[in-house]
Amino acid sequence: MDTDFDSDSLALLEDGLRKTMLSVSGAKLDAALAELGWAEMLSDIPDVAIPLVFRLLGETGSHASVLNDVMLEVIEGVPGGTPPMPYTGGTWVVWERSGEASETTLGGLPLRQVPDGETMRLCEARRALGWWLVGSARAMLTLARQHALDRVQFGKPIAGFQAVRHRLAETLVAIEGAEATLDLPGVANVDLTGLLAKAAAGKAALTAAKHCQQVLGGIGFTAEHELQHHVKRALVLDGLLGSSRELTRKAGSGLRARGSAPRLVNL
Amino acid sequence: MTVPTTAEFRTQLVAWLDENDLTPPPDDHSLDAHQAQHLRVLSALYDADWMRYGWPESVGGLGGPAILRAVVGEEIVGRGLDHPGPYSMLEVLTPTMIDYARPELAAEMVPRLLSGRESWCQGFSEPGSGSDLASLTTRAEQRGDDWVINGQKVWTSFAQYATRCILLTRTGGPDIPNHQAISAFFVDLDTPGITVRPLRTMHDVDEFCEVYFDDVVVPADRMLGKPGDGWQLAMDLLPYERSSCFWQRIAYLYSRFDALIGEVRGLGQSIDVDLGEAYLALHTLRCRSRATQLRLADGHRLGPETSIDKVLLASAEQTLYDTVHDLLPGVIELGETPWRTEYLYSRAASIYGGTAEVQRNIIARRLLDLGKE
Repeated sequence: MDTDFDSDSLALLEDGLRKTMLSVSGAKLDAALAELGWAEMLSDIPDVAIPLVFRLLGETGSHASVLNDVMLEVIEGVPGGTPPMPYTGGTWVVWERSGEASETTLGGLPLRQVPDGETMRLCEARRALGWWLVGSARAMLTLARQHALDRVQFGKPIAGFQAVRHRLAETLVAIEGAEATLDLPGVANVDLTGLLAKAAAGKAALTAAKHCQQVLGGIGFTAEHELQHHVKRALVLDGLLGSSRELTRKAGSGLRARGSAPRLVNL
Repeated sequence: MTVPTTAEFRTQLVAWLDENDLTPPPDDHSLDAHQAQHLRVLSALYDADWMRYGWPESVGGLGGPAILRAVVGEEIVGRGLDHPGPYSMLEVLTPTMIDYARPELAAEMVPRLLSGRESWCQGFSEPGSGSDLASLTTRAEQRGDDWVINGQKVWTSFAQYATRCILLTRTGGPDIPNHQAISAFFVDLDTPGITVRPLRTMHDVDEFCEVYFDDVVVPADRMLGKPGDGWQLAMDLLPYERSSCFWQRIAYLYSRFDALIGEVRGLGQSIDVDLGEAYLALHTLRCRSRATQLRLADGHRLGPETSIDKVLLASAEQTLYDTVHDLLPGVIELGETPWRTEYLYSRAASIYGGTAEVQRNIIARRLLDLGKE
């Protein structure tokens, strides 16, 4: 496929992906992505494809088993496999290709617990999940922002109240900060860069969930409102490949061993 | 003269710094000693040309991209050769002179600042005008070829060491909107009628001053820009403050974080979450700041999105020193180490340069488009 992307063709691709994700999910989305050239995108233009596809999964609330592909690409595994992935708390899960909701996993993702797995490099997969998490966070912020403008109490939209505005502002700060860590070309130390990016993204998504839930008030607590879907996704994906808290602790342990703080970013 | 790439520039600068020892003298932690060190460092850097890169030739610079200045600042402040406060003043004072002073005045004065022959200060805040800067009341009235200034400034950093001041005054009457009623002057601080009084602050460093103006006569050719340009001048500083100045401060915070890690690394894994959280906050801030510098270097205009950088900086700085407080119990309270001063100073990080609340208001209004309050 043509790897020379200009901004027009990128916008076109984004538009197509978004429409597809809004119409199908799970195994059907996997099939649709295959048709759109996901495998080629992943091998030819991963730096464009991974952020785009995973962010859009978050923004649209859809899901596909593409994290498997990112992991297999790194370890040059057999396409179509489902490598066990570490989950926070020392457990392991696989992401079923069938796309059918697990009976136990919160929020409908096809994650199944397995007894064991092999340690492998996770930097690319963590960055991919990071984009998914900031996509979810953006989706929550969009919902909460619109609600704040529409919902009238005490004779004015609640967006007029500083307490509400500051929660939404704080959410945007967390998202933009996390995106900056994801955008970093991880040349100096890819593992630590990926770990911190996932930690920042998980934290941003949990921050967004907390603030947006509060701003959406009662309606955001109902099953009919979209918010709960994104809240549950943020919780589940934060735990996958290490939660924000777990990764933060790990980073701290590395600092103690090294005796100083690596500057992963330079001008 | 050819301008090197950023990476080459850094390598050459580091080599020069390794050969030219600018370490501050030990033992003297007074503000006077800091100021002497500040001037010494500037003088050495200027003589060796490092201080001249990234500034235009019209004011004695050697040209090249502004990002080179951020590199110099990072190395100087990150190595503890100068404090970020006085050093970062250059980054807001110099662009103002280049953009608003008469070219001859800028050409005459800027080299004095960059070479450490003089220090200058910035008279903006007033007792009645903090977050609402545009309400300032220090007045300048035209009298023939001169302007006569009366009023009071506060929080004027390092005014006791300054030779000159970039001063915001009100020149428009009550019928003129605030943002067109403000004019800026470049004032010699030895002009009769000026009194500088350092403020005592809770961290015991008297770097902030009150400055009183009592019938101070300033020639008209010392006005910066035209009458009414003062507000725009103040707004134009933000991109500089929030690019190179922030980058220097971040370098300083990393160097202090290194010092903390060195002191606590023997404490075992119980401190890992605390260290990790401080690191994550600093890393996130540094990534964001890098993106901002690169956008500026690409010719983008910086705007309200830098309020995000400001919130990240204030939170990271306070997180770092909260971690110092938590992991070094009793040290801030009982011992006379630099941690005490730094911890106390960090409490102001969400107040100076636009409070955290004002930043969130800007984010809500300008970035999230939430309409008026």
